[in-house]
Amino acid sequence: MPGWTVPLEAYQLVAALLFTIGLIGVLVRRSALIIFMSIELMLNAVNLSFVTFSKQHGQMDGQIFVFFVMSVAAAEVAVGLAILVAIFRSRETANVDDVHLLKG
Amino acid sequence: MLEPILFTLFSIIAIVFAFNVIFRRNAVHCALHLVGVLLALSGMFVLLNAAFIAVIQILIYAGAIMVLFLFVVMLLNVKGDAALLTPGGWKGFGFFFALIIFVELLYVVLSQGGTEGTPAQTTALPPGFGSPAEIGRILYTTWLFPFEVTSILLLIAVIGAVVLAKRKFA
Repeated sequence: MPGWTVPLEAYQLVAALLFTIGLIGVLVRRSALIIFMSIELMLNAVNLSFVTFSKQHGQMDGQIFVFFVMSVAAAEVAVGLAILVAIFRSRETANVDDVHLLKG
Repeated sequence: MLEPILFTLFSIIAIVFAFNVIFRRNAVHCALHLVGVLLALSGMFVLLNAAFIAVIQILIYAGAIMVLFLFVVMLLNVKGDAALLTPGGWKGFGFFFALIIFVELLYVVLSQGGTEGTPAQTTALPPGFGSPAEIGRILYTTWLFPFEVTSILLLIAVIGAVVLAKRKFA
């Protein structure tokens, strides 16, 4: 079967599955580090969806948006990990259930 | 002929490694499996005519961001004996809501609810699609203002990270 290509819905399905896995990680894991990684997983699933739509429409705006998602993710990781280090220094824990008070 | 094989390979790698990310006990293993997911996704970007995005994905995500993650994981040295998952019924709620979201996403993808009025798949892409030159041209013309806003956002993030890191805790 020459010229057989993967339908773009298949890419969207992979993106949906990865997003769901990331969501499970956010909801059931207790380590703040793993929750951050799961958020990265969800952001990447959305990136895959953006690139797929970009090809589907033949326009590159989706790829530009991936750019912005990546820079926002970088900013989020920098600040989030700094907060995590600060919490760990004052509380000696990275478990989100141990950090449920606004007041330190 | 090559695309289905590579797509299957990359998607299996991405999904298996993603499950490892959320169910491994050791945070270093999680981070390294996340790098695997990112590399597989980078391969998928190449299949989708987004070669430049794929390179950026490896450089920024698998390079810079994941190094930051690993750095913090090893700096904190979190003990692995804490409860892995959230206790009791909340865990079931988590899986249940994730299942609901997945079914909704499945419905949207399979019913093509978001793609009305657009071609199912563009057969002929414009020349230079996904090339750095085209991306640069669009980024600095159509998307110039969001680009500048992003630079301010990154500046704020840098300042915030420094302030948080320098603060003294009692």
